[in-house]
Amino acid sequence: MRLAGQTLGVAVAVAMFASLGTFFASSRAEMTSRAVSSVPVDWQVRLSPGADPAKTLATVTGAPGITVAAPVGFADTGGFRASGRGSVRTTGPGQVLGLPADYASTFPGEIRYLVGAHDGVLLAQQTAANLGAGVGTVVKVDRPGQAPAQLTVTGIVDLPAADSLFQAIGVAPGSAPIAPPDNVMLLADTAWQRLFADAASGTTTTQIHAELAGALPADPGAAFAQVVGRAKNLEAALAGGGLVGDNLAAQLDGARSDAIYAELLFLFLGVPGVVLAGLLTSAIASASRPRRRREQALLRTRGASPRRIVQLAAFEAVATGGIGVALGLLVAGLIGRAAFATSSFGATHAQALTWIVAATIGGLGLSLATIVLPARQDARTLTVRGAQAAIGTAHRPLWSRLYLDLACLATGGLIYWQAVRGGYQVVLAPEGVPTISVSYLTLLAPLLLWIGSALLTWRLATAGLARGRGVLAGLWRPAAHGLSGVVASSMSRQRRSLSRGLVLMALAASFALSVGIFNTTYAAQARVDAQLTNGADVSVTTAAATGLPATLAATVRSLPGVVAAEPMQHRFAYVGNDLQDLYGIDPATIGRATPMSNAFFSGGDAQASLATLAARPDAVLVSDETVHDFQLQPGDLLRLRLQFASDHSYHAVAFHYVGIAREFPTAPHDSFLIANAAYVAQVTGNAAPQTLLVRTSGSPPAVAASIRSGLGAASGATVRDIVTQQRITLSGLTAIDLAGLTRLQLVFALVMAAGASGLVLALGLAERRRTFAIASALGARRSQLATFVWSEATYMAIGGLALGALSGWGIAFVIVKILTGVFDPPPEQLSVPWSYLVVLGAAVTTAVVAAGVGMLRATSRPAVEMIRDL
Amino acid sequence: MSPEALVHAASLRKVYGAGDAAVTALVDATFTVSRGDRIALVGPSGSGKSTLLHLMAGLDIPSEGTIEWPAIGPITALRPGPVSFAFQGPSLLPPLTVVENVALPLLLAGEGEAAAASAAREMLMRFDIGNIADRLPEEISGGQSQRAGLARAIVGRPRLVLADEPTGQLDHETAALVMAGLLATLDDVGAATVVATHDLSVAAVFPVRWTISVGTLTTEVAPSLV
Repeated sequence: MRLAGQTLGVAVAVAMFASLGTFFASSRAEMTSRAVSSVPVDWQVRLSPGADPAKTLATVTGAPGITVAAPVGFADTGGFRASGRGSVRTTGPGQVLGLPADYASTFPGEIRYLVGAHDGVLLAQQTAANLGAGVGTVVKVDRPGQAPAQLTVTGIVDLPAADSLFQAIGVAPGSAPIAPPDNVMLLADTAWQRLFADAASGTTTTQIHAELAGALPADPGAAFAQVVGRAKNLEAALAGGGLVGDNLAAQLDGARSDAIYAELLFLFLGVPGVVLAGLLTSAIASASRPRRRREQALLRTRGASPRRIVQLAAFEAVATGGIGVALGLLVAGLIGRAAFATSSFGATHAQALTWIVAATIGGLGLSLATIVLPARQDARTLTVRGAQAAIGTAHRPLWSRLYLDLACLATGGLIYWQAVRGGYQVVLAPEGVPTISVSYLTLLAPLLLWIGSALLTWRLATAGLARGRGVLAGLWRPAAHGLSGVVASSMSRQRRSLSRGLVLMALAASFALSVGIFNTTYAAQARVDAQLTNGADVSVTTAAATGLPATLAATVRSLPGVVAAEPMQHRFAYVGNDLQDLYGIDPATIGRATPMSNAFFSGGDAQASLATLAARPDAVLVSDETVHDFQLQPGDLLRLRLQFASDHSYHAVAFHYVGIAREFPTAPHDSFLIANAAYVAQVTGNAAPQTLLVRTSGSPPAVAASIRSGLGAASGATVRDIVTQQRITLSGLTAIDLAGLTRLQLVFALVMAAGASGLVLALGLAERRRTFAIASALGARRSQLATFVWSEATYMAIGGLALGALSGWGIAFVIVKILTGVFDPPPEQLSVPWSYLVVLGAAVTTAVVAAGVGMLRATSRPAVEMIRDL
Repeated sequence: MSPEALVHAASLRKVYGAGDAAVTALVDATFTVSRGDRIALVGPSGSGKSTLLHLMAGLDIPSEGTIEWPAIGPITALRPGPVSFAFQGPSLLPPLTVVENVALPLLLAGEGEAAAASAAREMLMRFDIGNIADRLPEEISGGQSQRAGLARAIVGRPRLVLADEPTGQLDHETAALVMAGLLATLDDVGAATVVATHDLSVAAVFPVRWTISVGTLTTEVAPSLV
């Protein structure tokens, strides 16, 4: 049992370590590959005025790592016009693009064909909706400085990556509109050349779109640095002829901070697990140390030298360690396949080999440390008589005399307080800067709190047993009757081994609870994030200036499974030179369709904030960032520029700042505005809503499907549901890997909590089988033996779980606070995984009961038979 | 069979293991132990002395034959109380002090803590080890541990005390003193005793000697041996 326990302990530690290696390696490689694959065009090289397109194309094509490059023409247009059904529709300014014939196949993901032909004159879906145009519609294109051109639409397309396609290259962030143009037409490059050959100066530009070779470093940070370096190299080669819009680097930029968070999660959630597995192995070895000492004493009385004894221990350590390592690697492989869809321990062979070697060395080292070192120490320092002692002298350890536990807790608390008192971020990855700043000092906070709480648990457990003998006797009296004093004395004198078991159980419980709370809180925030991103259970949006049909809300309300449907305007407004999203709502009814969380508003009272907004028609809620940037005070007049329906131009409109909105359904994270829809409609002359938020009582995807079919394919509206949205959110870079990690951690935590409680208790009891056999020979009935067994089990289980729960909650709180960057939005409070806790409690109880029952069952054998066997 | 018999056994046989590995420890043993008996069970090491004592104490069950305790009752009524046992090797419970160890049979029998502790201390004084009452077993010598084991066997005033090599770790002089003390105490409590020993000087103080050799018990002893 002892050897099996030690082997199992090594196997768990190795399996955990190797699984973390799989997570670590696979998550980084996956982040990079996902980042790379999600970019339709890696580089957009914008030609400087006067640069020769052919020469620039040759330079770009010849740059190292470029697999393909194609020129794309961009021309400004004053707008598009289409007539039909007795009316003429005109759009605002837009862009006309000239693309090579094979552009869509070269850069898949940039263009999605919806209706009609794949070549000729293609209209963006939104533009088609604005014009009410379809295939065959004749559209007039305003050309600056030239007569309008007349073209017949051959197809309708969607531009999924419009944001990056129409990015402003080489301008300072915030100095140009961030929104892509509302109106876009795509032409073949030859047609575009014909149309805009004589365009007014400055109204056309050319870009070279390029694709890089896929061989990038697995680490997102290294890949980012390499891509940025290559881009700079190309800009140097172009010698001022062009600037690189680095979409790939922008994507990797986000991934690299995710990679750092993955590293931190590895540290916060993974390393404690590995340490715990090591401690478990050590505790298993320690539980059998008295027996080993007695065996050593026997060997020494028969002439074995200390050297020989250590050699025998080393042989045992290598054997158990070797089997444990093999078993652990096998389990890690299976876990990797189940959790991360790979049984390799690294993205490359070298990485995999490194993790395997590290896990093997770690496993063997753990085995040697827990078996050979104590054996060596005993062989050198203990007398034969001392080796036979079962209780030993109770020395107060050095850490206890130095009050290291309290020092760790105080220091950890101080670091935590210092870190969170200001607006704190553990990972700082400034946009575009290759270096990432990580506050490693802050990482000490949970580490010190973990160590401090473990040592404090030890101190409390030991002190409780040493000084609380009377209390313990009183507690056990109802069950142990006259034996309560003896039971309490017995426990008190075995306080070292009992405290060790209790601490281990507390650590396992603390680990399981902190991982569980973190996981549940993360999952809850992911739901909140999905809700925020999607806006409601189902959302219908359109970018068309005409907005959604006025009757849509009423139609949707009548659909089965719909509880409420509320329209919302989505416009753009300039705050100074900063273009921001503006949402026009009805404060009285918006809450019917989507939850208005208190966390959305500064002051933490959604109802009060919405009432303030409703109280004044020209009131506006502003984001924190804007309030800070523009130094606003409540009641300040705020002149925003909004697009008027009458002339499609932006005009100043007076608003009054009344409060701060931190988050809002469908709004971006940084800056946005919330205003009264009625006022926005009145001043702009356009009441059309761009968004419809729908609350459902049934399946959101089903409601979304029926709305979609009601609207028709050519409506230009997008219908999203929260279930699908959440799946997309959870497929994000950090999220997918975190799900694997937490699943792994939760299972390991469960196994270790059950193992720590059951195995350590069972081993401790097994070491005292002779004691129980003698007590049985003295006439102890089974119920009397049970008082010894259950009193120890109860003390360890209840004490361990209670203290573990306390420290687990505290550590989860600290980790969640420190890793705020992982959460989007940050949680208001921790979410407790009740079902997991029930399973955990059941597993621990089962393990403890199994250990106790097993011991009692063993005592049912004839006492002398047991004594003889021992 | 007299109802006064503390132990009565007929054709007892004990075999350890099975098949080729089977070892016969006791063959066809028939005997009776009555109230007040003072019996020394003599035989070389491995002859089956411990096996016989274990069967008499109800700590083990025979492979064949019958064993009964007519004056006491069924096997479940033997301990704690009527029958006690002093083991050959270290048998004190490590986490309990000597006095707690000695008091344990009384506590198991339901006696109050104070009364049990008082009786245990008194018994330790009788065996001249009152000074180690509050020490842990690992803090005392092997001889002191054996005497504490004897004290524990007698403290509950049993009707039959079975002792397996109780002086194995004592010198002759101390052994003689301990045996004298044991017999005197047994007289006081009125208990019968069977003491297994391979030390003839210890056996000499007992009026009855049984011999055992290769599992065969002889309960009739030639007067010349006495």
